[in-house]
Amino acid sequence: MTDARLERLMSLVLAIGVIVSAVLITLGFAASFVVGWAGSLTGAALRAADATDFSGLLSRLADLQPLAFAQAGLVVLIATPVVRVAVTALGFWRERDALYAVITLAVLALLVASFVFVR
Amino acid sequence: MTLSASGDLVLLVVSAAAGLLGALGGVGGGLIIVPVLTLVFGVDIHVAAGASIVSVIATSSGAAVAFLRDGWANIRIAMFLQIATVIGAIVGALVAPDVPAQILLLTLGIVLLISVAMQVARLNDEPGAEAPAASPDPLRLGGEYFSLRLQRQIDYRPTRVSAGFAMMAVAGVISGLLGIGSGALKVLAMDGLMRLPMKVSSATSNFMIGVTAAASVGIYVARGYVDARLVAPVTLGILVGAVVGARLLPRLTNRHVRLVFVPVLLAIALETLLRGLGVNV
Repeated sequence: MTDARLERLMSLVLAIGVIVSAVLITLGFAASFVVGWAGSLTGAALRAADATDFSGLLSRLADLQPLAFAQAGLVVLIATPVVRVAVTALGFWRERDALYAVITLAVLALLVASFVFVR
Repeated sequence: MTLSASGDLVLLVVSAAAGLLGALGGVGGGLIIVPVLTLVFGVDIHVAAGASIVSVIATSSGAAVAFLRDGWANIRIAMFLQIATVIGAIVGALVAPDVPAQILLLTLGIVLLISVAMQVARLNDEPGAEAPAASPDPLRLGGEYFSLRLQRQIDYRPTRVSAGFAMMAVAGVISGLLGIGSGALKVLAMDGLMRLPMKVSSATSNFMIGVTAAASVGIYVARGYVDARLVAPVTLGILVGAVVGARLLPRLTNRHVRLVFVPVLLAIALETLLRGLGVNV
């Protein structure tokens, strides 16, 4: 039964995703106590940051903004289940379980559609 | 919404408690944190749902690490039923902004009450003993797990799969609508309709919750309901609580799990229902 291997692989994906996101969110949360949610550890002048706006994340990360770290953590967290489903599809494919590979790909397609097409 | 630094710490602690209870009861911490954020902290219900739906991904993923290791979650059942929950979640998240807050609170209260009723009704039910191992299983959904308490392997097969699938679609809509994992409704579908062992239902539900939540979170982000200042303490707190809960679960019998869960949820459910009806207590 290779299901056990698949389960271990998924466990790993989940653990990495959760740990990386938890570290990023913790960094952002801790830094917010130092310079505030609207601040920056580099002291760089900021354009008014909207906490619900995820755009310009990389440049805001480079500015060491607490908000950007928290948001990057959220992005990693949100991506984790999607990656998990992709890994599961791959696992079923390698087990030559066509039925469940298709079922899993259908779930993946729906997830991707919800991020890409819905505004 | 203006949250002070000490307010952030309070949110962190409250969220940790919600995550712990959620993991022990096989439901997402969202079921607890949405009414708490809305009723206690005065957060807009859509923003509360946006924070919750992210934290629900953390709960599910954090706890699922342990559940997968222990071999209780059934990946085939999860993937098959996720088709229903994911479609439902997208629909729920799309219509959520058009649903009045009172209706959302009422729905939340009802889901909470269903959870409590489920816990009470099945308080003395021993899982596994009733597993209908002889039923047909064309989708290969059956499985087995090792019971620590009974010290033997338990084989199981699901019954009434179409009814379970339909119930999962409803669970998905509720998840997208309220930003909760809908773990209670998922467990109800698997444990109640499909007659899967309680621990398999709980673990598989927890496993599915993250994917269901991921289906609606993109819509919440696109609409500006995911506020990182709120989500950070809520998610961190719930994550810690969920990981601790998942570690505790194998050591507890079902009765203990439910006895902790019932009175707390009942109180929150009644408060939420009353607020949904416009009564301030």
